[in-house]
Amino acid sequence: MSSPRSLDRRAALRLFGAAGLGLAAAACAGPGGGSGATSSSASPAALATSGTPEGTVSFAHWRAEDKAVIADLIKAFVRKYPDAGVEQDIAPSADYQSTALRRIQGSKTGDLFTAFRGAQFQQIVRAGVYAPLTGTAAVDNYRANLIGPGAQAGVQYGLPYQLVFNMPLANTDALDKAGHTAAPTDWDGFLQLLDDLKTKGYTPLAWPGGDAANAGQLLNTMVMNNAPTDDAFTKIESGAYKVTDDWFLTTLEQYAQLVPYLQTRATGSTTDAVTQLFAQGRAGLLATGSFQMAGVRALGAKFPFDLLAPITTAAGKAKYEGVFNTTFILGVNSASKVQPAAYAFLEFLGDPANAGVYANGTGQHVTVQGVDYTNTDLKAVAPWLTKKTLLAPRFQFLNLDIRTAVENATVAVVGGKKPAQAAEEAQRVIDQKRA
Amino acid sequence: MSSTRSARSRRATRALWLFPVPALALYLFFFAYPTAQAVQYALTDWDGYSTTYDNVGLRNFTELATGDDVFRNAAENNLKLTVTVVLAQTALALLLALYLVRTTRASTLLRALFFLPTVLSSVSVAFVWRFVYDPDGGLLNSGLRAVGLDSWQSVYLGNPDTAVFWLAVTQVWFHAGQMMVVYVAGLQAIPRELYEAAELDGAGRWDSFRHITWPLVAPATGIVVAYTTVQSFKAFDLVLGLGGNPPGPALDLLSTRVYTTFSNNEFGYAAAQSLVFMALIALLTWVQRRALRRAA
Repeated sequence: MSSPRSLDRRAALRLFGAAGLGLAAAACAGPGGGSGATSSSASPAALATSGTPEGTVSFAHWRAEDKAVIADLIKAFVRKYPDAGVEQDIAPSADYQSTALRRIQGSKTGDLFTAFRGAQFQQIVRAGVYAPLTGTAAVDNYRANLIGPGAQAGVQYGLPYQLVFNMPLANTDALDKAGHTAAPTDWDGFLQLLDDLKTKGYTPLAWPGGDAANAGQLLNTMVMNNAPTDDAFTKIESGAYKVTDDWFLTTLEQYAQLVPYLQTRATGSTTDAVTQLFAQGRAGLLATGSFQMAGVRALGAKFPFDLLAPITTAAGKAKYEGVFNTTFILGVNSASKVQPAAYAFLEFLGDPANAGVYANGTGQHVTVQGVDYTNTDLKAVAPWLTKKTLLAPRFQFLNLDIRTAVENATVAVVGGKKPAQAAEEAQRVIDQKRA
Repeated sequence: MSSTRSARSRRATRALWLFPVPALALYLFFFAYPTAQAVQYALTDWDGYSTTYDNVGLRNFTELATGDDVFRNAAENNLKLTVTVVLAQTALALLLALYLVRTTRASTLLRALFFLPTVLSSVSVAFVWRFVYDPDGGLLNSGLRAVGLDSWQSVYLGNPDTAVFWLAVTQVWFHAGQMMVVYVAGLQAIPRELYEAAELDGAGRWDSFRHITWPLVAPATGIVVAYTTVQSFKAFDLVLGLGGNPPGPALDLLSTRVYTTFSNNEFGYAAAQSLVFMALIALLTWVQRRALRRAA
């Protein structure tokens, strides 16, 4: 007879069997305990703007390079609200893109958080994580025409903080030497500019073809005037347009025309390498965006900057001079336990004086109105704030595979593939991903 | 008295059944449970955050099998990478081990040097090799230019036809030293007398290798091939470091494909991809084990 306290083999097996079945049953309970019904959006909670700002706010973002400037702003915030504090929770941008929603859902982190424009913003809205900001005083500090990417169906969920221009950076000294003091107004003029830069010994256009994330930036300006509508990439994703349509084939053919003016073997170049090429004054244009100005300066560039977008149409037919993007969308977590403090920090960041500290310290324009830009490069590029620019089309893609297929078509063309073949291959992937 | 002893012995035997409990509990919680969950997700169109979902049956699997060129491209890349790395890494590790098996001061130093890359993080390795492969100012092309071999310069990772090969080169550099250590241990276990006897019988170096060394290092080869295969299938951070996030089609592997699909918030589809990925590795390991057992 066995002791009542001992465990025999049969009992042990029964125990493990039961545990295994229990775990399997728990596993099969389904995502979020759902019942198998069609997905629906979670409804957002109202924002608590009143109440004393107290407690430690977790501020989740991806800008490690801004850490010191934000830390200074936090010190000023704590001086204003001694019962509150802010901790920065920084993840690399690629990780943030893919994991932020899961991390901030449930508010263990990210009482105040940021989001990328486009797919991530929309996912977070659908998940009901944003506390709506419509009607709050925080919104009034921003330029109304720039905060659209933080709104959906008339509700302001987030406030895009950064304003960037996703168009080529220009070394104006090099352009002057090439005899171009004004930006070309048509495609032939742009090619002539590149030719003149080449004649003067410059790499006309440095393009990071080996880094998909930055290689795709050039596409924004290449399609801004070719696309039949401002939401052409949305329509490619929905199936209304195809990359085999004439306007996109024209764009790919124009990419092929750029090949002699790119650095040699451009399809394998990293962003670091082309940035170095530009910073050393060996390239006339850097085909990424204004977000790289601070980085180029950090590499020792002494020449003045401007922005210069390729105009792909005939003179007088262009709708836009360039593109902009507003991102780093600030939002308050609807489940935050320190919501008044999180909101107070959001409002604090939107104060023109504090936004100026952020902008001048990080070398990024902001969407806040009334900011005094003292940074030389920001001042030089500031005229673009009032030029005719389009919200960067590339971020209309919500599906990464479709975006990659379209961008890869441009890389393939630069690599020597026929535009029509590259377009057909991309369209095949798009059709599969849409199915 | 003897009945007391046998009762004690029975109790001791029963108590032994408690020892696997922690391991089994960990297994159930960290493997069985997530796998069951993955199967459940794979049958849905869950987006990763909604509280509700649609059951789609086997749709995710049929799509993978019939209509996903991107997944098939990743699988082909993975297969090319695995075959290249297994052949090159096994051969290189064995050659290094044969050369360095004798313990001299020089061989100890060389072994340490070849082993050194293994201790680096894959992210650092990726950054260093990105610089090596960069077609404009990178080490390889600069070196070729310096010795007048300009026409040999290449675009390396920017050419879809060769990108996987250059990824394989990096991976072999990264892990060959580790596999060399496995071979050195295997070679050191072979009794010297066998070589002495073979020498007395007039066997040359090639005969000794063919009839003594190769058969007796078969277990080490088994370990090297199995480990290298799994390692090549699991290659992830090295690929993201070299190819960007997400990597372009030239460097997309099954692991990065699953990651990108999760990033796309297609959890159900990504779970199906993970299961197919797991089944492929299991199948490959099984085939290899059988082949190696037969060869031994």
